[in-house]
Amino acid sequence: MTALTLVALVVAVICGLVVGPTSIGTWRVVGAMFAHVGIGHDTLTNLQSTIIWQLRAPRMVLGLMAGAMLAVAGGTYQGVFRNPLADPYLLGVAAGAGLGATFAIVDIGSGLVTPTWTPLLAFVGAMLAVAFTWLVGGRGLRSNTATLILAGVAVAALLTSVQTYLQQQASSGSIVRVYIWLLGSLASASWSSVLLVLPYVVICIVVCVMAGRALDAMSVGEDESRSLGIRVRQVRFIVIAASSLGTAAIVSAVGLIGFVGIIVPHIVRLLVGTSYRRILPISVFFGAAFLVFADTVARTILAPSELPLGVVTAAIGAPTFVLILSLRRGFVR
Amino acid sequence: MSWIDIEDVCVMVGSKALLSGVTLHVEAGTWCTIIGPNGAGKTTLVETVAGLRRVTSGRVSVAGQHIARLHERERARLVSLVPQQPEVPAGMTVHDYVALGRVAYHGLLHAPSREDRNVVESVLERLSLGDFAQRDVVSLSGGERQRMVLARALAQSTMVIVLDEPTTGLDVRHQMQLLELLKKEVADCGLTVLATLHDLTLAGQFADRLVLLDEGKVILDGPSREVVRSGELSEHYGMNLRVVDVDGSDVIVPVRH
Repeated sequence: MTALTLVALVVAVICGLVVGPTSIGTWRVVGAMFAHVGIGHDTLTNLQSTIIWQLRAPRMVLGLMAGAMLAVAGGTYQGVFRNPLADPYLLGVAAGAGLGATFAIVDIGSGLVTPTWTPLLAFVGAMLAVAFTWLVGGRGLRSNTATLILAGVAVAALLTSVQTYLQQQASSGSIVRVYIWLLGSLASASWSSVLLVLPYVVICIVVCVMAGRALDAMSVGEDESRSLGIRVRQVRFIVIAASSLGTAAIVSAVGLIGFVGIIVPHIVRLLVGTSYRRILPISVFFGAAFLVFADTVARTILAPSELPLGVVTAAIGAPTFVLILSLRRGFVR
Repeated sequence: MSWIDIEDVCVMVGSKALLSGVTLHVEAGTWCTIIGPNGAGKTTLVETVAGLRRVTSGRVSVAGQHIARLHERERARLVSLVPQQPEVPAGMTVHDYVALGRVAYHGLLHAPSREDRNVVESVLERLSLGDFAQRDVVSLSGGERQRMVLARALAQSTMVIVLDEPTTGLDVRHQMQLLELLKKEVADCGLTVLATLHDLTLAGQFADRLVLLDEGKVILDGPSREVVRSGELSEHYGMNLRVVDVDGSDVIVPVRH
């Protein structure tokens, strides 16, 4: 399964670079990739080179990072909360980021902030929302996970109401921009946005993947885990902090991409079993490949206009999930 | 030498005392069973010894170490727990479940060592679980499942094991089988056992010592035969209990009025 996922990842990377409105031969693109690491010669024209390396490549890399981070964060949340409905937005990341982005886009305070502040305010909003949830939920350390989930629901509802109010007060142009941001897109990807989120994503993915053994052990419940020698509350804090930080960084760069964080870990679970030691690392690669495929569809199917990425992730992911679920249960013969 | 020292322990929840001035010392290599009616505080007592519940006052020590001051890993190397209703995660193999008992040794970031694997294999063998090692935990019968939970506790290689109603939901044969296995471990490895049991006959037959708990207080504490034959059991269970000698073993029979 690991090998299959890696093959899917390589194919996704090539698709992400090759497929687009400007037709560039697959082998010329592959040749250019090898030339970049000192093997063979680059046969691309300057224009083609710019299209590949300045437009498609950063978009593809940001897609890989977003898919990997959202998938592993979703899997981690499902493990730590022992709840199959958990996704990376469970503790208010989406609502907080949405409020921050809306704040920037609708220009509250007449020029005090500008739309260029959107990523920063989305990130700050997401982190403040999670911190608020943590405080409201009894600081997480003392409370049980159910209390924390309910606190997340309450905080998300509160922030969404404020965000909706701001949207209502905004001009129609701003509302459209907010709406586009909320549906998520990789269209504004650049190498600078890649470099900005890279450290967060790499560190957070490593922490989440390393938590696999802890999440397996914690599947016997809090009291039994403690009797086995696990510092449950500390593990929970580290895992939630890493998942939330990585998700906030990605959301600040690409907006709210739904579905990846909840469905990819489930698809992987159906394929490789219930151990988080396997689910989490495979989710990283599967999520990365899945999102780049989805983005390739989103930017080509109605070219030159683009479909919202969240629409494509749901449209591809849901039937795939149902198919695997049916096959696993022997419903389809 | 006593391995478990419970000194004047009180546990309060709000204004209700779950345990009140409980003092108990369990000698190394012996089996002590707590009996008492529902709500007596038996589960609270074993959870306190396992370090899962804070005491309001008093002190619990295991092997001379104050249990509340130990880190989780240190505590898990001293005391293992068989809970009343263990959670059994679907999809996990019996081998992996039993291997959870070694987490306190290899930690959460490292794979089990050769020694960890040897301990797990040995426990699986001793408890006749070797043939089930690769089966999903949810596919086991009630008796097999309880043996698996006992195996996880034994894999912790502790000198003290606490069990909260380990025979719940088992038929008579499987109850006897589980307790016999534990008795053998006590004899072979010098384990110290603190258990709670509802079945007074089994409690009397397996334990070296019985402690009757009621309303959070120790009512009786002594050798099994003495406690079973004292007239106080009937009073605290609120019913007529009769002791019948069957081939030298005490059998406690409830008598309907």
